[in-house]
This record gives sequence, structure tokens and C-alpha cells, in this order.
Amino acid sequence: MSDQSNVKFRLNNSELWGGLIGLALGGFVIWSGLKLRLGTINDPGSGYVLFYTGILMCLFAATIIIAALTEGGPTFGSRWQNTRWTKPVIVIACLTAFSFALNPLGFLLSSIPLMLLLLRLIDPVRWQLAIPIAVLVPLGMWWILKRLLLIQLPSGIFEIG
Amino acid sequence: METLLNVAHGFGVALLPINLLYCFIGVFIGTLVGVLPGIGPISAMSLLLPITLSGTPESGIIMMAGIYYGSMYGGSTTSILVNIPGEAASVVTCIDGHQMAKQGRAGPALGIAAFGSFIAGTFALIALMLVAPKLASVAIAFGPAEYFSLMVLGLVVLTFLTQGSMAKALLMACIGIVLGLIGLDSITAQPRLTFGRVELIDGIGLVPVVMGLFGVAEVLLNTEQLIKRDVINARITHLLPSRADWKASAGPLSRGTIMGFFLGILPGGGAVVASFGSYALEKRLSKTPERFGNGAIEGVAGPEAANNAAAGGAFIPLMTLGIPPNVVMALLLGAFVIHGLQPGPLMITQNPGLFWGIVASMYIGNLMLLVLNLPMIGMWVQLLKLPYNILFPLIILFTIIGVYCSGNNVFDVYVMIAFGVIGYFMRKLGYEPAPLVLAFVLGPMLENNLRKSLILSQGNLMTFIERPISAACLALAVVLLIGPLLPALRRKREMVALDEGV
Repeated sequence: MSDQSNVKFRLNNSELWGGLIGLALGGFVIWSGLKLRLGTINDPGSGYVLFYTGILMCLFAATIIIAALTEGGPTFGSRWQNTRWTKPVIVIACLTAFSFALNPLGFLLSSIPLMLLLLRLIDPVRWQLAIPIAVLVPLGMWWILKRLLLIQLPSGIFEIG
Repeated sequence: METLLNVAHGFGVALLPINLLYCFIGVFIGTLVGVLPGIGPISAMSLLLPITLSGTPESGIIMMAGIYYGSMYGGSTTSILVNIPGEAASVVTCIDGHQMAKQGRAGPALGIAAFGSFIAGTFALIALMLVAPKLASVAIAFGPAEYFSLMVLGLVVLTFLTQGSMAKALLMACIGIVLGLIGLDSITAQPRLTFGRVELIDGIGLVPVVMGLFGVAEVLLNTEQLIKRDVINARITHLLPSRADWKASAGPLSRGTIMGFFLGILPGGGAVVASFGSYALEKRLSKTPERFGNGAIEGVAGPEAANNAAAGGAFIPLMTLGIPPNVVMALLLGAFVIHGLQPGPLMITQNPGLFWGIVASMYIGNLMLLVLNLPMIGMWVQLLKLPYNILFPLIILFTIIGVYCSGNNVFDVYVMIAFGVIGYFMRKLGYEPAPLVLAFVLGPMLENNLRKSLILSQGNLMTFIERPISAACLALAVVLLIGPLLPALRRKREMVALDEGV
């Protein structure tokens, strides 16, 4: 909360946006509850708990928004200040690419590049160590799961694994 | 006499070679994740949840329980030697434990932590044996109104104890309830929030949610910073505490044990609160409080005893009421459910082998942990030198495999990655995941009990007030909800607020 002293309204106040997202989610849950039918208090329907939980969400989100507007809050930038923010971005990008590759390529063909990328991009491990780890660990896991535990991992369109 | 017979029956189950093996695997992995910062019992238990499917329910749950109390032991090693808590309950141990290590007293610090944990763990088990059957016989009379109110209280206590804004914690709990309700309505069979996806008809799995929020998100957070480790490299000797150390630690050990056990039973409480509470109590009772923070052995003995006793106490609400008091117990509940078992008041009578087998295995596990944590301390010290740039990719790979194996479903991997990213941003914006996960588990039960009590009472909301246990729980929940509005209570809350982290 380093730069919280400035209470004036700012659009990059992270607390405000957190509250707004909560409010939007709450609104969506209320709408879903209504759509599912509330029922009566004697016989609550499928949307009964969702509807009231949505109302509570809106209430708590509104509290967060009011606090953000009256007390201020840290900016998005300050949340990532003095951190190596590119590292989580890289990991998220690798995981997203992996999730797209997993079904078509299968476990082995997608996890070996994932491991190699993570080993080289977080805090680079030297190639002589990174390559054996990236290849042997997924292979070892695949072998244990397939041969010992009889669990079939996705084999992809090339049916490898 | 009956209790003794039951214990003997329990040992008969726990001493089966396969259960001994699972118990050893559990406490070994528990110590391992306790020692390694960045991965805690929640991630490890969710990772291994699918493996419990391959054995009997007893074996699986013995292993899962072992991971939990094993991590309490292991967490102290990292706190003392590296000044980084291996898991959240060991944060306090860093303060005096690492100072002792710096002064060349790492051995007695590790020794008193291990012996203290053993003594407290054993006490908690004896108390669990005595209290659980009695509480279970009372809990048989509980109706849906009591269950609903107890769950509300559990959620409110956890949000009260969560670090940061209470409004954020409550919002997280509500989101958890909504996520828990995704899938078919258990009463009307109507699909809810499934967006037409077949994969969501059965709801979102607990494993992908927990692995994402605690495993992947934790790795993402850790990659942001360069973690420096100040490992004590000196040879560790004198693991057996001296007579003076024992004398100084006797009081903190007993007080920490009793306090930890009772805090562990409370819904929403647990090992983290217990360790902080014990440290504060010992400092207040000490004639020389200035020694705290400078290597006072009481500052290690009390919190270590408290967090282990709390780990034992936390089994009581789960085993007797079927209500998990914290996220770890929620995962254990998941393990029961996977095997088609429902913990609750009838479990002890209907499935005595399982209940007493788990209790007996915890005795055996505590003994194994004493051996693992004292003579084998050198091995754990070596492990502390494992570089994070190798560890983090391995954790990611294991979480992917663990999640896939839990349901043989690629969709679960997508869910885990999504929750990992969401969890990372949540933590960055000060939204703790613990209330979300507990609410996610309790959500369907909470809804079911609310609807049942409304149907049974023909829509009379007074049913929640007219029943004394329900009324007491709701009254306490209301006090905790409005409490933070009062400055004095707000300050108290900030003092005990915890980071459930990993």
C-alpha cells in the first residue's frame, strides 16, 4: 500500500477495478439465479442460493469500491514494482501454448518443449542440464503412468505415447 | 475399555504392511514439502489425491493425513536453517529458530521442534480418540439447520482470520460457493452455470481448482522474485536438547499443545493461528520477553507444539461432523468422497476400521517423523540446496500430470491453468484463495442443508434461531462479521490475520 496516501479518484486504482470485477460477477450470478428460477421460501428452486449469493457478492464488491474511492489504493504499477514481472508472463504464455498443444500433439510432444522452455526462461539452467531434465522427466513420468499405473496420457494425432 | 479395544483394532489396520508403506510415503512427502519453500501441504495433497484411488480408502487417507502432519514437522527445518518458512504454520518458528541457528544452536532448535511436535502430536491424538466419539454421538442429533449454521460459522471464521480486507475475503467465499454450485442441481437435476459444456455437468473438480490456486499460482508468484537462501552450513550437532532447554521449554510445550488443540478444532482456525497465538502467549508470560526474537528456545517450542496439536485437532470437526475446518481438511474430505465415504457422526460406528485405523496410523506416523527429522536431518539440509529454477518447472509438470490423472480429462488441465492465472492475479490484488476453496467445498453442502431446512420448516426462517446450536453459531458469525467495524476488534483481527498461502 505504498502509494495509498493520495486519496483522489484514479482510474488505475487496482482496488477499484477488483471491486468492479466483483460487482460484475455478482450481477451475473444474480441474473443466473433469476434465470434458473428462485422458487419459494417453502420450496427453494435451483437459483435460490445463487441469487442471494449474487446479492452478497454485489454488497461486498460495493464495500470494496467505496473503500477504494474514499481511501484510495495501490495502482496496478505499484503491485508489480520491484518484481521480475516478465517471468510470470513467460510462464503463463508457456502454459497457454501448452494447453493448446496438449490435445493435438499429446503429452510427450507438448510437455518436453514446455519443460525446456520453463527451464531456460525462468532462471536459465544450462543446456547440458536442461535438455536431459526436459526429456527424461516427462518420459519417466509417462513410463510410470502408462506401465505401472496403467493411466493413458493424451497421445495426440501422431499417437506418440 | 471400549476405546482401548478400538485402538487395538485401529493398530491392526494401521500396521498392515501396505498401510505402513502409505503412512511412510505420506510423512516422507509431508516432510519434503514442509522443507521445500514454495510448495506446501495443500499443493502436495491435491497432487497426490488421484493416487489415493489406486488403494483402499484407509491407505489413501492415511497417506493424505501423513502429508499434513508431516509438513508441520518439516516446515520447522527450513524456518530454523534458512529463515524461510517451509509452510505457513512455521512462519513464527523463523523468528527465534533462525537466531538460535545463527548462534550455533541449530541442533537444540531442531531437536526441541521435533520433540515438541512429537509430544503435541501424541497429545492431540489421545484427545482426538477421547473427544471424537463423544462429539459424534452428540452430532447425530444435528439437523440441516445446525449443519447450515456451522458451515456459515466456519466460513466467517476463516474470512475473519484471512489477511487483508474482510470484504475481499467474504467476496472470495461467495465466489467459492458459486463455483461449488456449478453442475447439476442435486435436488432438481437442473444444470447450473454449465454454459452448455458437457465437462461442467458434474461441476468443477476440487483438484484442478486447488492445484491452480495453490500450485501454479504459487510458482508464478515465486518466479517474480529472486529467492535468496541463507542456509546454515555449519555441521548440526547436539540435536538432543539439554536439561536447561527442556526446563525452559516444558511450559511453552504444554501451553502450546493445549492451545493448539482447541484452536485446531474451531472451524476456520488451524495450525497457523495456533502457532502465532502460542508465540504471543509465551512472550507475554515470559519474565524476559526481550529474549524473544534473539534466539529464545521457548519461541520455537511453543509454536511448534501448537501447530502440531492444531493439525491433530482439525481432524475432529471433519471426522465427527463431516465439516472441514480448513482447506487441508477440505482436501481430505475430497479423498473420503472419492472413495464413496462420507465423514460424519455415523462414520465412527459404521466404519470403525477406517476411523481408528487413521488415528493409529497417526501415532505410527509421529514416530516415523521423529526418526525422519532427527537422524536424517542432513538429508533435508542437502535438499534445501535444490535450485528453484529446476524445482519450479518440475512442480508445474507434476501439477499437470496430477490434475490429468485425477479425472483422465484434458479439460481439467485447462481449468487448472485458468485457476493458476486467476489465483496469481488474485494474490497480487490482495484476494486470498483459502476462503474461496473452503467455500467451494462447503457450497453444495451449505445449499443442500439450507434448502432442506427451509423445506422441513415450511419456509420458517426462525428454525435457524429456535435451535440453540444453530442460533449460537449464527450469533457468533454475526459478531465476527460486524466485529471489524469496531476499532479494538479490528486491531485484534489484524494481529491474528493469517496468510493461508501454501
